[in-house]
Amino acid sequence: MTARKSGSRLETEIERCRSESQWDKIPELVRQLSAKLIANDDLGELLLGECKLQTYLKENPLKQGASPRGPRPKLVEVRKHLTAALDRGNLKADYLQEVSLLMAKLCYVEGEYRDALGHYSRVNLDDLQLGGAPVYRLSMIAEAYATKGLCLEKVPAASPSLSNKNTGSPSSNRSTTDRDQEIINCYEKSGDIALLYLQEAEKALSAGIQNRSPKPGPTAQDLELGYFLETGLQRAHVIHFKNGNLTQGVGRFREILRAVENRTTQSLRMTIARQLAEILLRGMCEQSYWSPLEDPPTVSPLDDPTRQGHTRTKNYSLSRRPRVYSGENLFCPQENTEEALLLLLISESMANRDAVLSRIPEHNNDRIISLQSASVVYDLLTIALGRRGQYEMLSECLERAMKFAFEEFHLWYQLALSLMAAGKSARAVKVLKECIRLKPDDPTIPLLAVKLCIGPLHWLDEGECFGKIVIDMGEKAAEFRAKGFLAIGLVYSLKATDASLRSTQEEYQRKALGAFQRAQSLSPTDHLAAFYLALQLAVSRQIPEALGYVRQALQLQGDDVHSLHLLALLLSAQKHYHDALNIIEMALSEYPENFNLLYTKVKLESMCRGPEEALLTCKHMLQIWKSFYNLTNPSDSGRGSSLLDRALADRRQLNAMTLPDFSDPDTGGLLDANTLGFSSMFSVCSVHATSIAASRVEQALSEVASSLQSSAPKHGPMHPWMTLAQIWLHAAEVYTGMSKPAEASACTQEASNLFPTSHNVLYMRGQIAELRGNIDEAKRWYEEALSINPTHVKTMQRLGLILHQLQRYSLSEKVLRDAVQVNSTAHDVWNSLGEVLQAQGNAAAATECFLTALELEASSPILPFTIIPRAL
Amino acid sequence: MLGSERGVVEEWLSEFKSLPETQIPSYAGSLHLKKSLVPALYRVIQDPNSELMEPVCHQLFELYRSSEDRLRRFTLQFLPELVWVYLRVTASRDRQSNGCIEALLLGIYNLEIVDKDGNSKLLSFTIPSLSKPSIYHEPSSLGPMALTEGALCQHDLIRVVYSGLHPQRETFTAQNRFEVLCFLMLCYNSAVVYMPLSSYQSVCRMSSRLCVCGFPRQQQKLWREPCNRVLLDPEFMVQMLTAVYHAIYNGEWQMGQEALEDLLYRAQLELYSQPLLLANAMKNSLPDSAPDEPRGRKVLQVEVTPTISRISISAITTASIRRHRWKREDCFDYSTAGELTLIVNPPSLAQHHHHHHHHHRRHPPWDPTAKEEREGRPHSYHSSSSSIPPITFEDADGMSGGEDSFNVNDPDEGFSSGASNSSQPGGTKAGGSMGPRGGSLNNNSSSSSIKRAIAARLSREKDREREAEKQADSSADHQAVVRRRHQKQPSPPASINLEVIHLSPIKKHLSFPVVPTLVRTGSTSSSKSFDCMNFNLNGADDEREEEKEEAEAAGEDKEGGLPAGGSHHHSTVSLQEDHLIRPENAQDILSPGAPLTKQSRSPSFNMQIISQV
Repeated sequence: MTARKSGSRLETEIERCRSESQWDKIPELVRQLSAKLIANDDLGELLLGECKLQTYLKENPLKQGASPRGPRPKLVEVRKHLTAALDRGNLKADYLQEVSLLMAKLCYVEGEYRDALGHYSRVNLDDLQLGGAPVYRLSMIAEAYATKGLCLEKVPAASPSLSNKNTGSPSSNRSTTDRDQEIINCYEKSGDIALLYLQEAEKALSAGIQNRSPKPGPTAQDLELGYFLETGLQRAHVIHFKNGNLTQGVGRFREILRAVENRTTQSLRMTIARQLAEILLRGMCEQSYWSPLEDPPTVSPLDDPTRQGHTRTKNYSLSRRPRVYSGENLFCPQENTEEALLLLLISESMANRDAVLSRIPEHNNDRIISLQSASVVYDLLTIALGRRGQYEMLSECLERAMKFAFEEFHLWYQLALSLMAAGKSARAVKVLKECIRLKPDDPTIPLLAVKLCIGPLHWLDEGECFGKIVIDMGEKAAEFRAKGFLAIGLVYSLKATDASLRSTQEEYQRKALGAFQRAQSLSPTDHLAAFYLALQLAVSRQIPEALGYVRQALQLQGDDVHSLHLLALLLSAQKHYHDALNIIEMALSEYPENFNLLYTKVKLESMCRGPEEALLTCKHMLQIWKSFYNLTNPSDSGRGSSLLDRALADRRQLNAMTLPDFSDPDTGGLLDANTLGFSSMFSVCSVHATSIAASRVEQALSEVASSLQSSAPKHGPMHPWMTLAQIWLHAAEVYTGMSKPAEASACTQEASNLFPTSHNVLYMRGQIAELRGNIDEAKRWYEEALSINPTHVKTMQRLGLILHQLQRYSLSEKVLRDAVQVNSTAHDVWNSLGEVLQAQGNAAAATECFLTALELEASSPILPFTIIPRAL
Repeated sequence: MLGSERGVVEEWLSEFKSLPETQIPSYAGSLHLKKSLVPALYRVIQDPNSELMEPVCHQLFELYRSSEDRLRRFTLQFLPELVWVYLRVTASRDRQSNGCIEALLLGIYNLEIVDKDGNSKLLSFTIPSLSKPSIYHEPSSLGPMALTEGALCQHDLIRVVYSGLHPQRETFTAQNRFEVLCFLMLCYNSAVVYMPLSSYQSVCRMSSRLCVCGFPRQQQKLWREPCNRVLLDPEFMVQMLTAVYHAIYNGEWQMGQEALEDLLYRAQLELYSQPLLLANAMKNSLPDSAPDEPRGRKVLQVEVTPTISRISISAITTASIRRHRWKREDCFDYSTAGELTLIVNPPSLAQHHHHHHHHHRRHPPWDPTAKEEREGRPHSYHSSSSSIPPITFEDADGMSGGEDSFNVNDPDEGFSSGASNSSQPGGTKAGGSMGPRGGSLNNNSSSSSIKRAIAARLSREKDREREAEKQADSSADHQAVVRRRHQKQPSPPASINLEVIHLSPIKKHLSFPVVPTLVRTGSTSSSKSFDCMNFNLNGADDEREEEKEEAEAAGEDKEGGLPAGGSHHHSTVSLQEDHLIRPENAQDILSPGAPLTKQSRSPSFNMQIISQV
């Protein structure tokens, strides 16, 4: 310190070299120093001793875990210098201390642990000043604590150690505990001071560089931590974890991480951040968590119970501590996953930065090492984010890994899966293609691709290719072979539905049937195989066979909603409407909110129980719709908008709307009427009552809609709105069935508000116009519907009929023939076609058509079988 | 069931009933001392015909209802076994009633979904963001961070609800079954540390069995009891994985790994991406060896390791590229391809390319002419919806004050989430005055939402870019693509990004009102830099293209065909692309089952932007 104050250039230079570990310059500086003043000789001895010791350690680095070797000839010289410096005793107090510390270090290197401890007890490390000391001294003190810890670990506990006070009672439990604590204290102090040293050193270094700005100088090389500092920084938590003392280990990790980083600590921080994240993910849970700024729980399940009671709070203090991150509004994790994520994001950014990008052979090893360390971080990120369903963020993280993931299957595959989980299907398929290239033998990957192609993407050609990859694997695909056939069957089945030519349609249906049969025979216990086989048979109107397989599917999976639905449709095809309705009601008891089932229910009810019941079901659907989307489903949480906000917004919006309830006291009459003879009220008895009921329903329906509209209908996911429009259209259909154009029109209007250009809406408008007798208007609507969807069979049929009425027979025939081409199983089209042909005098052909219509009608379900979704 | 076990259970049943309220805490403390009780209770739960089942379930529920955490956890330890029994019975053809187990599970569920005051619980957590300082880091020290959608969204730390608003349930239905079970497993996992080893074994057993029963793999197991396949939900499998992951590291190394394998097997067969993702990650990060400690815990094994980076200094890393650049540059850089080219090219080429960069840099972006031009054209901000917003100017490299270059293509680099950086270089701020909105971009709160939009667009553009990159095998090809774009013609279908196709027409329609707001955030210059990137990507070695790039960067549109303000053509065109796609989708507007996961996100996204801007 005096040296510093003297301002002597030489001494400053020496101090700097010591701080920056430039030992090779010391001898020359010592020569200059000695030339100045005789009294400096002792200092010279100190410096020479130090520089030779450090040079030796640099050339013969100590290895973790390995014991230091015995005396070395080179070290003899060191000892000579140090002894000389000590013996003459001319040095100032702090230099004397330094000599002692160096001596102790030398003793450790030579394996003389007891001697080393002796030196330390003479100096009394705790008395050394941290404040105002030159930078190199901080390093010396930190090393001294670490070395002391090492020595204490080496010297058997039983033997009277110089620093241990209770020499009398060997290996008593108490003294061992104290000793363990002393060791840990040594390391923790060493670590703290080492962090302080590194911070100060970097500060000095950058200040130095600025001062000597013009000359390039020694490149800002990273400070190297020697063996001792590394031990000091890490040994404490290693011991904590060895002892099963997770609480303290976590505490120590957090202390190290909170210290402001510098270049040298970066890789240590990266390791520790990852390790702490591992502990948080593997050994902690929400309930056992404590925030970094809180005191740890006194008894924690984290700690090895056999060693419990060892938990102590830190019982030392230092006059100066490393700087920690500070400032206002610092984010401090409050939850397990939060902290893990923060740590992993920090590690990720470092791993990403240090990943070796070049692919030249010389860097191969480096590349693999960096890839592995990054890969571990990404795996942990996956685990942390996956738990919380944050797949979108995960896919973004993994995308960052791609720049060094060339030919690395695992990372590619994980990216593909995360994209898939995040709903980014198109990209997922592209990445999956690359995965298939990297690992051509894995049947799962092409199957995942088919799943996306069939489902959200509807890329049937691509799906077919992927499916074929699996099938071409043959026996190798093992259990996935059946899945492969199932997948390709679905592709064909969907293609058949899309096909506009009858021959193509039939070709695909045949192929689909074959594939499903293969799948089913390969995997007879898979209910999906049986179910899709049944569905395909149903689509080709092989009703009894389909019934057989759907029963089989239901035996394998009793409450599969699609099998139940198919069963109901099959029963309706056999005109067992009541049985079908029973099945639907049974299915609805298991799936009360399944709209698909409810649509079928509406149809069946208007068929066997009258339109009033059907209307009630429509109303019920609206109520379900309301309650269903009232509680926003957390699983579809996008990060884009905070789910909480969205949930609350939706709530507000939906709470504002009211559905008049039929069970309200003032409408109780209606409910009773329903059970007694509501239908009569509705349809027969009084026009007034009917209109009241109808307007009530409408009011309910439109209130839902209008309130939605006021707050931007398309706010949330699209799906709810499509569902809502569907419900309206079903209600409209019921009203048309009841010959109530006004009500039907109101319902259609609601749907139209949501989707003005839907062909279904236009079709319904046409029907209403027909009901009102406005043939021309109806024709216009139908034509508009067809301009949007030229293959909408129902519209074509109605249009054909109208053209027939307008006596434009050949055009009508043309339209109906087209319709039959699109869907050869629509019996009413065949019927209309027959009528047109008859009107044209083509009796023979007309008979054919009528017969076909009859035959088809006998196997026609109440709603097309294809309303059942087909997906893998 | 042995008589002695029966005795233990019966004693336990009667003991708690007669327990006075005051003794509950001490009872809770001593419960774990009854060593034979837990195995006996497992026996009861496993035996469908046990007449003790009902009182046991009832008692377990009573314990769960008490305010004592230790009693609740005592009940919770049986959850995996209860779930297993419940699901097995549900799947079996002869549906025996397991009413009391159902009641117990529903009871726990109904207790857990509300907080102390009876309000519906919302389980949420904050997604940390590196752009916000934390107790562990400072944004500037980590260098530039990703301008991914994610990073930007999180600029204001976002709280995400991961579970909540669950309705009370009185019965199990096929529809709500896994919603309830997932939530129960979530509760189990949030207290998993407190569970005894026997519960870990149970959770591993449950996971293995649920995954394999009825599948061919069951034949390889010791447990061969015939059983129907049990339907599983992906979310539920994720919860099982979480529990199994914990078991692996806390004493059930062997069983846990087996369960992990079985979960993986099932996730593959079901083609469930979420559990597959997690299981892969868990398997890939397993340590090589079994734990050797007595209790078998292996949460972490640490050794003192050298802190010096093991990576040799000469290896090319993102960091080294950055360092390299710092040395060569002292101004802001438009170039975008540097990083990417470095990855793919041999070093010599990279060198060459850098030379180009240097060359290019003679026209710094804040060249007065360029700036003038930019400011002279505020109208262009209104004309496109997909223009690339002015990140270039707003964001600066956090580490060293803007020495880092701008790179649209690199998901990690090039953008810092600069709003939090105080050390933005003066030069890069030049863009701050670019437009009516430009100024506010430097303001954290308002810019974050804009950035969100930007990021969304960017990622789409990025995708498109990749597409384009693939398309263009030769630079000539690519040029053609670019030209087409510049001529305001709809791009050929091949270059339409499929993500864009995703946008449904309705949504597109809806987002129109948003456009002006968004567009104002766009800037000519940044679109320009995006255009530059087009060239850079494929024509890295093409001198001519470099020149063109320079020209564009300097704001001198030398290409004759380009009208003034043509720099945003690209985005205009992309809008048209969207139009083109409309009719295709229009047919499906009303198809009921069409999943809309992707599309569904964006509208709300845009809405949010409106509300925040």
